[in-house]
Amino acid sequence: MMTAPAPEMTTETDPAMTPLLDLSDVTIALRQNDRKMVTGVSLSVMPREVFGIVGESGSGKTLFTRTVFGLHEDTYLAGGTVRFNGRALPLNGYRRAIKKMLGKEIGYIPQDPYSSLNPSMRVGRQLTEALYLSKGYPMRSQKAQDAAVALLAEVGIPEPELAFRQYPDQFSGGMRQRIVIAIALSQDPELMIADEPTTALDAFTQRRIMDLILERSRTRGLAVLLISHNLELLRQSVDRLGVLYGGQLLNVAATADIGAREIHPYTQALFDCVPGRDKRLADIASIPGEPVGAGFGTTGCAFAGRCAFAQDICRSAPLVTNTDRGTGFSACVLGKGARHG
Amino acid sequence: MLTTPRSYPKSWVEWTAIVIAAIIVLTAVFGGLLAPHDPLVIDFRAKLLPPSGTHWMGTDGAGRDVLSRLLTGAQLTLLSTLSVIAVVLVIGCTIGIFSAFVGGWVDNLLMRLADIWLGFPPLILALGFAAAMGASLQAAIWALVFSWWPTYARLSRMITKDILSAKYIAAADTLGVPAWRKVVLYVLPNAFDVLIIQVTLDIAAVMLAISGLSFIGVGAQIPTPEWGAMIADGRDYVRNGWWIVIFPGLAIFFTALSFNIIGDMLRRELDPTSQRRA
Amino acid sequence: MTYILQRIAFSLLSLFVLVLISFLLSHIVPGDPAYVAAGPNAGAEKIAEIRAEMGLDKPVATQFFIYLGDVLRGDFGTSWFTHQPILQDIAQELPPSLELVLVAMVINLVVSLPVGLLTARFNGSRFDDLVRLVSIAGAGLPIFWTAILLQQKVAADWKLFPVAGRLSFEHRRFEGQTGFTLLDSLMQGRLDVFFDALAHLMLPAFALALLFTAVGVRITRTSMISEFKKDYVTLARAKGASEGRVMFRHVFPNGATPALTVFGMQFGWMLGTTVLVEEIFGRPGIGRYAVKAVTQSDIHGVVAVVFVVGLFFLVANLVVDLLLYAINPRKHLEG
Repeated sequence: MMTAPAPEMTTETDPAMTPLLDLSDVTIALRQNDRKMVTGVSLSVMPREVFGIVGESGSGKTLFTRTVFGLHEDTYLAGGTVRFNGRALPLNGYRRAIKKMLGKEIGYIPQDPYSSLNPSMRVGRQLTEALYLSKGYPMRSQKAQDAAVALLAEVGIPEPELAFRQYPDQFSGGMRQRIVIAIALSQDPELMIADEPTTALDAFTQRRIMDLILERSRTRGLAVLLISHNLELLRQSVDRLGVLYGGQLLNVAATADIGAREIHPYTQALFDCVPGRDKRLADIASIPGEPVGAGFGTTGCAFAGRCAFAQDICRSAPLVTNTDRGTGFSACVLGKGARHG
Repeated sequence: MLTTPRSYPKSWVEWTAIVIAAIIVLTAVFGGLLAPHDPLVIDFRAKLLPPSGTHWMGTDGAGRDVLSRLLTGAQLTLLSTLSVIAVVLVIGCTIGIFSAFVGGWVDNLLMRLADIWLGFPPLILALGFAAAMGASLQAAIWALVFSWWPTYARLSRMITKDILSAKYIAAADTLGVPAWRKVVLYVLPNAFDVLIIQVTLDIAAVMLAISGLSFIGVGAQIPTPEWGAMIADGRDYVRNGWWIVIFPGLAIFFTALSFNIIGDMLRRELDPTSQRRA
Repeated sequence: MTYILQRIAFSLLSLFVLVLISFLLSHIVPGDPAYVAAGPNAGAEKIAEIRAEMGLDKPVATQFFIYLGDVLRGDFGTSWFTHQPILQDIAQELPPSLELVLVAMVINLVVSLPVGLLTARFNGSRFDDLVRLVSIAGAGLPIFWTAILLQQKVAADWKLFPVAGRLSFEHRRFEGQTGFTLLDSLMQGRLDVFFDALAHLMLPAFALALLFTAVGVRITRTSMISEFKKDYVTLARAKGASEGRVMFRHVFPNGATPALTVFGMQFGWMLGTTVLVEEIFGRPGIGRYAVKAVTQSDIHGVVAVVFVVGLFFLVANLVVDLLLYAINPRKHLEG
């Protein structure tokens, strides 16, 4: 559809570069009772990188994302540092600080395209509003209108001039998600967060929307943070993958490593659950035991209760700290899946 | 969503409401016995006495003890309120459950009728009915039944429909469980929570309506110590006997308030569809 | 288009039910309607005459269609205490009541919409708790009692507003074409009369609005809360919209739609509640007319008021729904 050739990207990013987004030891707690839901998360998203975060339902991935980007009311950043482009954001008044960057450096695509567009506002106005908020274009100006129509065309909306005047409910789910993407792109962010952007869509549309996000961000040189519970979808889309379980970040793996070399036991177990082309049905395992929800805490590994390799030390020792800058890491105390050179 | 289970009364406001409601109910039960004076005996030598040791809430324009009238009136007011709700509950739920079981055009027609009926301002509808029957407390009670039934018909019909569409009813059907047993076994127990919330909230609304009708003159007639009628009676003396108007009003207000707070609390605790706070 | 037709069909059906209720009230419920219609002092001859005149010797169905025809022609009979056609009475009494309800509705909206929006935004806060308690308390106040207290304290003691009536003594000869004093005085450029009429309206309107505002705040709050939970609010915030913009440009227009439907219904309910206020404040109006008809046992006068209030209720709802449809047809298709 779009003919612009994507610049060649290497999956391995240069560790000497400054990360675009750098979290170290981030802890997130509920406002209501200060319960720590996500603990000790350190990760870096490099410029132009597509970074995925995978986790089962309840692992804390949406809580984590929405809190880090100031979109959650009931939680707060209780500890750690967040750096954007090398600049540290204050822990006090964090939400105010990060909110100033929303719609400018940071773009966001919510989960459900059926509810993420204002039903009573024309599509065009929702775009010109975004342009006004990020670039100061007057909302009724010709400049804003032209830019909006061009963006609708860019994300593959047929008849963009007509779409500009229509209401969201005149579009299918896939088309609505394209409009949402156009809104995010309109603000020229450096980092685009896509929070389960395809979960509400059918399998065929999922792939097309994912391709659109990847292709547009490559062309425009954006970094993408992609959140999903669908490991297979992420594996096909991202450069590196962070694995969240029980509110702990257990593993950051380069996509190429998954299935190719030793990775964290939980990531391996997740991967083993995915039916694939080259796997026979008998190979597909499901993880024994019940999943642990977010808020497991910091004592020991959240996965220890279900892990085939677990020893006593797993239940008491603190996890390995992530110090990577664009490579990978395993939180496993036993050293499973750790990179050795 | 993570919601920590809470004990029922959440704050001192709710505790206070429960205590007040309990006092009011007890007063309604024993009202007449507690009254220090005869609520109906006229004594013009003692008229318009301000609150004092012998008449805690003063006396009215005919020398009757306001406190005694208030206590006796508690029984009358609450009893008539409860009779309205009891009758409406039976009639409304019968229509609603019947409608849900029969389905089809009968269901459609009944619910359309209930929709329309529900919309009409209940006070004016009751006023018309009471006026047609001839003014009396009984007329006011029937008038409110006449205008209140759709609330319960709609509610019970909704619950019944929900339950009838559940899987275990299909299982009961294959076993040949008769309709009336389904009502007793499944519908009534499931409807209980929702109905109790509605009843609690309606106690205040019905009581306000009854006293309003009495105030206008289509409900309880003036010497009767019904609270609304007492206010109507005291209006003429309000400049030199504020107590005649103030106390029955406060009684209505606190009864309505405490039942509303309890209803609000029940809705929060029992109704899964209500807005829970994070 | 189908929506509009459906909506109008429903209104017509409601109108039919309304006529049915009025018929029930004037012909079935009273033991002997002729006796009631004739008044307490009528002799047997007079009653028989009225019975024939009202067609009470005919079958019930026939009576109903005669009644339907009468009502559609606006014939509600003759009031036996004003000795005028009831329709004429009502036409006279309606404008002051509508004026009262409109002012009360303005008070209601001006308080309910912003407070509902803010309590939804700060859902669960102290402010929310306080407003919740105040609105529950407001819903427990007997209107007629509040009205008496306001009249005694605010008007008689503090002299902030006139105690009773529709206009002050010096304006008693003021006349206008429409019967709406507020409108007539503006049309004639009589600002003194306008403010006098408004001052007379404030206390009764406030007393009337109190209960409805208590409900209105909570309805608005519920409606707005469900909007705040939707993803488009998250997207608007992610776009960098200020909290004010999120609230007023995004949440408010969407949350106000369902709330406005309720306010439309409240219009009719308020008109029906004027019976509790007008007499206290000595204002003319259909409420006071109904109370007078009750005390004079004029069942036809009462039923006419019931009918007119019901009619206004239907019209107000229809107008609100069509208006909301005209503003945003899409929202309705979504359900």
